[in-house]
Amino acid sequence: MNILVLVKQVPDPEALVEIASSGKDLNIEPKFAINLFDEFALEEALRVREKHGGKVKAISLGGSKAIEALRTAIAMGADEAMLIEDEAFAGGDGYNTALALSKALEKETFDIVLAGRQAIDADRGEVPQMVAQFLGLPHVGVVVKLDISDGKAVAESSLEGAKEVVEVALPAVFTAQKGLNEPRVPLITGVMKAMKVQIPKVAVEDLGLTKDVAAPENSKTKIVRYLPPKKRPAVQLIPGEAREAAAEAVRILIDVERVI
Amino acid sequence: MDKVLVFVETRGDEPRKASLELLCEAEKLAASGKFTVEAVCFGAMSDTLKGKLLASARKLVRFTDPELAAYSPEGYARALAGYAAETGARLVLAGATGTGRDFLPRVAVMLGTGMVSDVTGANWFDEPMTFVRPMFGGKVFAEIAAPASPVVVTARPNSFAMDMPEGVSGEYEERAAGALADAIHTRVVRVEETKGDAVDLTEADLIVAGGRGLKAAENFKLIEDLAAAIGGTVGATRSVVDAKWRDQADQIGKSGKTVSPKLYIGAGISGAIHHIMGMDTSKVVLVVNRDPNAIIFNYANYGIVGDLFEVLPAMTEEIGKRRERG
Ligand SMILES: Cc1cc2nc3c(=O)[nH]c(=O)nc-3n(C[C@H](O)[C@H](O)[C@H](O)COP(=O)(O)OP(=O)(O)OC[C@H]3O[C@@H](n4cnc5c(N)ncnc54)[C@H](O)[C@@H]3O)c2cc1C
Ligand SMILES: Nc1ncnc2c1ncn2[C@@H]1O[C@H](COP(=O)(O)O)[C@@H](O)[C@H]1O
Repeated sequence: MNILVLVKQVPDPEALVEIASSGKDLNIEPKFAINLFDEFALEEALRVREKHGGKVKAISLGGSKAIEALRTAIAMGADEAMLIEDEAFAGGDGYNTALALSKALEKETFDIVLAGRQAIDADRGEVPQMVAQFLGLPHVGVVVKLDISDGKAVAESSLEGAKEVVEVALPAVFTAQKGLNEPRVPLITGVMKAMKVQIPKVAVEDLGLTKDVAAPENSKTKIVRYLPPKKRPAVQLIPGEAREAAAEAVRILIDVERVI
Repeated sequence: MDKVLVFVETRGDEPRKASLELLCEAEKLAASGKFTVEAVCFGAMSDTLKGKLLASARKLVRFTDPELAAYSPEGYARALAGYAAETGARLVLAGATGTGRDFLPRVAVMLGTGMVSDVTGANWFDEPMTFVRPMFGGKVFAEIAAPASPVVVTARPNSFAMDMPEGVSGEYEERAAGALADAIHTRVVRVEETKGDAVDLTEADLIVAGGRGLKAAENFKLIEDLAAAIGGTVGATRSVVDAKWRDQADQIGKSGKTVSPKLYIGAGISGAIHHIMGMDTSKVVLVVNRDPNAIIFNYANYGIVGDLFEVLPAMTEEIGKRRERG
């Protein structure tokens, strides 16, 4: 079983994110992590390998710092890693990210692609399905259980309100949702190995793409500016002992806010 | 005139709310005279459902291919993208539900165009069109311009008003996409309904959520009772899901679902940023916590500092009384 895992390096979920005074950039506290959902994808890849043999390769598109996410992948137990190094493609829209990743995947042999359900920076949840479409492969999204046997997969997909059990022939793309597994914590031996390993880098030109594809004037969608979230007015505390406060709260919801 | 296609999701005899909201928005586009709008629907359609949809769209197109009876990302994407290409659509819209977010990215690639996911606002008349969408779990919003055509968009449920004018009565057309069987490589083996009839969290208007302050799984009865009293859906924090008190499907937050109800009531929840990220676009927020310094009060319109074991039952009872009085 050859398994590819798409991992993205993202700002730590706790990192401060502020809009720059120009309104056109973000100032993000430089704390990074592997995308939360990609950890579930990696863990699942390792479990499939443990059961069926084969290799796990982690692939990331990003700037030079994204190598850290790949080191984490190696530390967890991935056999190989590869960085597609290009800030413009990585910082672009989902379409360009998926285009570059799919070009890289075309050069690989694999049975399974595992990715995260969503990257927690841009919160798009587009790239794996787009990669699948570029490659002409099926995908199953938001997977909470995955069983592999006889060249096919049975995946449980957690759509809203219902769980769907889906069968699909391999190769196929799966996106990992929380609940799929508990990601392991890297062992010290893994961390040592990850520090020493040489991680190959490729440029988008090596994949048959040109840089101008990801230039803002050629992008299919682009960010014009950033806006702050709407601020809620200061909380209004409802006084009184429990029964009184409860009755007043109900009155407000019914008579003032008219929401129930 | 520019063509707008709205993908309409249905469940039994009901159109999903996220789809109806988009049809309301699309009706405004149609009324402007700049756009023509078609609602596109797959799978079975009862007369009841048809009636509801024809009162919400000037034209309803249903694809009758048997391969579309069950959801498959490839089949749905092929049919929708094919029709968008054939009609030269300028805009392809769907609700940012699980299904919408799952297959619209494939539609975008098939059409060789860009997409904007999970938008909470739109300027349809700008050239190029611009959209607003949350990023970083709602810490910031981005305004996105989409110069490519068509534009593929998914819209977050509860972002557009449900205000269909009276008197819309659409025409109905049936079509076949054809040649889908070879395109579909996934097969649904079975569907397990986990939620019964309750409205799913992401589309719910009214949510009552509980956290670790509930102390034990069985105490969620207090949350369920209040939810039942107002006709709402139950939500939970991650700690509660990790403790197996509630199903993963109930989790609100960064690693769970994003909700945008008219009313969010939270009890026994501290207000960790990961939870807030999933609920901060709620319109009215009421929280109950016994700790006056709990962070969640910073994200609420109304707060009760008190013991949820007293406040929740009292609220449920009070709602019952108010209902009796009428
Ligand atoms: C990467 C990452 C992702 C995460 N994703 C999510 C997510 O998606 N969703 C999520 O919810 N969390 C998420 N978390 C976890 C989050 O950080 C918090 O740990 C979690 O939300 C806390 O849950 P809680 O509020 O139920 O529990 P606690 O923080 O323990 O709060 C319990 C609250 O109950 C109050 N309380 C206790 N007893 C009573 C009583 N009798 N009456 C009234 N109030 C009472 C206490 O004062 C306290 O404020 C994530 C964390 C990480 C690191
Ligand atoms: N730059 C990237 N490099 C590698 N994988 C990515 C990249 N962007 C997105 N992905 C994968 O696609 C998933 C969903 O990302 P997104 O569509 O950006 O929300 C992520 O969890 C990753 O698995």
